[in-house]
Amino acid sequence: MLISFNWLSQYLQLPSGVTPEQVAEKLKLSTVEVEKVERLGANLKDVVVGKVLKTAKHPNADKLSVCEVDVGQEKLSVVCGGSNVKEWMLVALAKIGAKVRWHGEGEFVELKPVAIRGVDSQGMICASTEIGLGEMFPLKEEKEILNLSGRRLKIGMPLSEALNLNDAILEIDNKSLSHRPDLWGHYGIAREIGALFKIKLKDYSVGKFKKGNRFDLHVKVAELKLCPRYMAVAIDGVVVGESPAWLKQRLLAVGLRPINNIVDITNYVMLDLGQPMHAFDAASLNSKPIIVRLAKDKEEFIALDGQKHKLESFMLVIADEKHPIALAGVIGGEASGGEASGVSANTKTIIFESANFDAASVRQTSMKLGLRTDSSARFEKGLDPSLCELALAKAVELALEICPGAKAVSNVVDEAHWHLNRGIIELSMEFLQKKLGVEIKQKEIAEILVNLGFGVKIKKDVLRVTAPSWRAGKDIVIAEDLVEEIARIYGFANIPSQLPIFSISPPRENKLRNLERRAAETLVKELGYAEVYNYSFVSAAQVKNLDDDLSKYIELDNPLSKEKPFLRRHLLSNLLENIQNNLVDYDELKIFEIGKVFAAGETGVRAETNSDELLPRQDTWLEAVFVNKKDNTPFWEIRRAVEIIFQSLNLDWQIAPLDKVQVWEHPTRLALLSHNGKVVGVIHELNPMTANALGIESRVGVLKINLSKLAEVMKEKIDIYKKISIYPAMTRDIAFLVKKEISHAEIVKALSHVDQLLKKVELFDVYSGDKFGVGKKSMAYHLIYSNSDRTLTTNEVNKAHDKVKTVLKSKFGAETRE
Amino acid sequence: MLEQFIKIKNSALAEIQSVKNSAELEALENKLLGRKNGELTNLLKGLKDLSSEEKKSVGQAANDVKQTIESAMAEKKSELARAEWVKSSEKESMDVTQPALPSKSRGHFHPITLVQNKLEDLFASMGFMVLDGPELESDYYNFTAVNIPENHPARDTQDTFYIKKHPNWLMRTQTSSVQVRAMQKYGAPLRAIVPGRCFRNESTDARHEHTLYQIEGVVIDSGINFGNMKAVLEQVVKNLYGAETKLRLRPKYYPFVEPGVNGEITCVLCQGKGCRVCKQSGWLEIFGAGLIHPNVIKEGGIDAKKYQGFAFGFGLDRLVMLKYGIDEIRVLKSGEMKFLEQF
Repeated sequence: MLISFNWLSQYLQLPSGVTPEQVAEKLKLSTVEVEKVERLGANLKDVVVGKVLKTAKHPNADKLSVCEVDVGQEKLSVVCGGSNVKEWMLVALAKIGAKVRWHGEGEFVELKPVAIRGVDSQGMICASTEIGLGEMFPLKEEKEILNLSGRRLKIGMPLSEALNLNDAILEIDNKSLSHRPDLWGHYGIAREIGALFKIKLKDYSVGKFKKGNRFDLHVKVAELKLCPRYMAVAIDGVVVGESPAWLKQRLLAVGLRPINNIVDITNYVMLDLGQPMHAFDAASLNSKPIIVRLAKDKEEFIALDGQKHKLESFMLVIADEKHPIALAGVIGGEASGGEASGVSANTKTIIFESANFDAASVRQTSMKLGLRTDSSARFEKGLDPSLCELALAKAVELALEICPGAKAVSNVVDEAHWHLNRGIIELSMEFLQKKLGVEIKQKEIAEILVNLGFGVKIKKDVLRVTAPSWRAGKDIVIAEDLVEEIARIYGFANIPSQLPIFSISPPRENKLRNLERRAAETLVKELGYAEVYNYSFVSAAQVKNLDDDLSKYIELDNPLSKEKPFLRRHLLSNLLENIQNNLVDYDELKIFEIGKVFAAGETGVRAETNSDELLPRQDTWLEAVFVNKKDNTPFWEIRRAVEIIFQSLNLDWQIAPLDKVQVWEHPTRLALLSHNGKVVGVIHELNPMTANALGIESRVGVLKINLSKLAEVMKEKIDIYKKISIYPAMTRDIAFLVKKEISHAEIVKALSHVDQLLKKVELFDVYSGDKFGVGKKSMAYHLIYSNSDRTLTTNEVNKAHDKVKTVLKSKFGAETRE
Repeated sequence: MLEQFIKIKNSALAEIQSVKNSAELEALENKLLGRKNGELTNLLKGLKDLSSEEKKSVGQAANDVKQTIESAMAEKKSELARAEWVKSSEKESMDVTQPALPSKSRGHFHPITLVQNKLEDLFASMGFMVLDGPELESDYYNFTAVNIPENHPARDTQDTFYIKKHPNWLMRTQTSSVQVRAMQKYGAPLRAIVPGRCFRNESTDARHEHTLYQIEGVVIDSGINFGNMKAVLEQVVKNLYGAETKLRLRPKYYPFVEPGVNGEITCVLCQGKGCRVCKQSGWLEIFGAGLIHPNVIKEGGIDAKKYQGFAFGFGLDRLVMLKYGIDEIRVLKSGEMKFLEQF
């Protein structure tokens, strides 16, 4: 919303020297976001009123002329391309050094002395768009220069002065106003500034008008809740035409294009008081009375911009007996047969509407139809019903002033069905101090509230406060709302900071979060993985590439892109996309993500307090992928990652082959991870068929750990110190051939109880090659023997080692290689 | 015999003095002290033939001579070794600017993790729990419970992803969704932060994302006031951006707090002078906060007459972007290694 500083000064006498920028700063710190302050005339420095004395054809260009322009102290020779330039015309002349926009586009740039087609030009005769006045003086044709003839202007005077452009415009962020319906007009903003500068706001004075009885105006409100107040009056004898200059100026200053005097009046009142109004042409109504009712389902409505809409039965309309003539609080309409119900050049009698509509209803209607208007923006914040009266009186006053022959010819309709709860709200000084942590004098508090329009009665340590009608029931309901008013006007900066005092109880541990952090730490710092954050959404194609079941995926109702409407069930899909995107530039990729996945059909936490409904389960997973273009068994690298992660977490873990294989998993290179007998994850290579479908030519190792699950079941190992033996250990190596199917785990298990001198079994080499025969492999182990009580003898080690050989032979058919 | 010892001492010392390298020294050592035919060794062997009287007088002197020669040799030896090391160390010289080969790549935390961890640690040090909540949330906890009933205009500002076939499920738009869950679970007093992923149904561009990170904080106790909130948040911004950082609060409307504020810090790029990043204002908005609305406290099952508190929310993406000078929000979730490698 744009606020004109000059307009504000109608209602406030700011101390001299207070600049618009200072006002904006105060507003920013205590009320709303002011995005910028624009000095209207700021870009018009060195642009003056000039008079064209002579024009001559440019010697080298048909469409240019060379003009002699009188700018007061001097006469300038200027090359001009304007199609309408004439001798004795008053023009806007930009002197050298002025800021102009070439062809009315882009940034303002400084005008420098130039020669145009060989003729020097000492300035520029400007089009309105070239000096940022396109809104005020719309171009009728492309090469038209701004014609100021017909105004009583002094040659050489600054253009900003000539056009009365000494205003400053405050641009306020509408979002920062969404809770303050009272600030949607100049008078409301002026009230707020008054409270900030402790200056009295002038009363909003509006004269009384004489009612008539010639026109029998009737309004029937069928929906009292949706239309708490409807005021209207008929004015006859209006002459629709251009608005007076002061009115146009006001509207233009805040970015609204003048239309005609009647429409301009309704817009002016809206920008002044924040109350949207509407003017109907009385002749266009098919009947009396005016009816405020709900639309019929699929009822047709043509808005004044010619757009056709199908209404729904929750939408409120203003109608005559046949058709809706306006969408309540949103937009006016065309009556039947394309005839506008609004004001046209032929209009003689108008009906001013000044009404109050239910905020939620207006909001729903405008949202549903995609019609956001200045009017709906205000109504949907919840307006003060008492404003209707003031706004109507102001509109009538202006109409009678601007159209001297006009007068009110009807009764003033006031269908009022509203009640405001303005309080009393009790505010104790103790409560206020407890909330803010600072003691403010009662007198100062009362002053703040009174300046904002509150009624205040002091009763010992309690203020009995009545809310002003423009805020009651909206943003002022409870004592906390008053605390805010006081705090922001008193100044947040004036409230001293004070660290709170708490008991020193340590925070409760978040096991999952700790686990996430420790696992990530190991992956990054020890294993060299890069952490990635991917989106939670996946596409149908991604699901299909994994041959996963689409019905297991939760779907968004309104996805941003139709392409990725599903919620991820694995992190893998997007990690694979990371590989696809990065593999061009890298020979090796180690990437992981920690994040939530969404499981359709599995239940998680409660959806609402005391409800049976449960949200879908949303576990946090750690998933990692490893690719190296030269590595055809990335499984090992991934297995190493698991080992190190569990070691650094100090957790026991087990690995076991897995029968149930997902399509995207390599059927013979995968294993289940468990901790204390509970399955917590899986490692595998990506099925090369899946990789092919994704265009990944290298083998991919995949690690998946359900951290939520692990956090639930995890039990750290208890490490107990074992005394270091002072007697030396003896290491014997053994190598043997076994069938390929024999697993390391089986061997370790078989050797674990062979002899108590055997303390450690360490695999150091596995090799399978043709020379050992098909289906065989060679395995080599370090066997470490020791005795903590005494020095080992060769003899006893030999005996133990023989037992090992025997066991390997009998259990696995191992042939020891010497 | 004594003279012989003196003579051998003098000649030996002179020879040691003139030795040029360790090979010569070794030869000399052999010549004098060799076990079989060393000159001194042989002389010493002769001692045993002396009378015990002579042994006493000559023996002492002979021993002195031996020690003198040995220590002179040891000294020469270390002198030669030092000289030779100086020579050979030059040969061992290498290009210290060259990196260790083969090169080994290191891992990378995502920058959001880096900033989030730092904040978690800070808050943990002040006794805050770190909480978590569902990303697919109910309309109730995301909106209604935090004082944003149906048809409230505030819902407009948070374009929401809804879930098919479940009209009351959505992707949470704010970590505030965990406020009431936390109150119901832990009661008062309460000190907690909630870092996490949120979603907005917004078209993306350089400054807008549909997936964003927030860090929410809630403090509830019997004597919590506005000044407390200000002080805690000052600690946070100083921790993030340095002790010089100034904080200012401005009014801002959030339905779940009253009064509501947004927090701005002196611009980290221009130190408040005004630049492109702070739009010439000198200030950067980095969080929203306020005293928790009594409706929210009540919804959490806590006695709003007895307890009050404050809540705040930081946009983590924004903190990260400011910290590292990132001007394109989408790069954070691009999975681009060339981005990740920089952290």
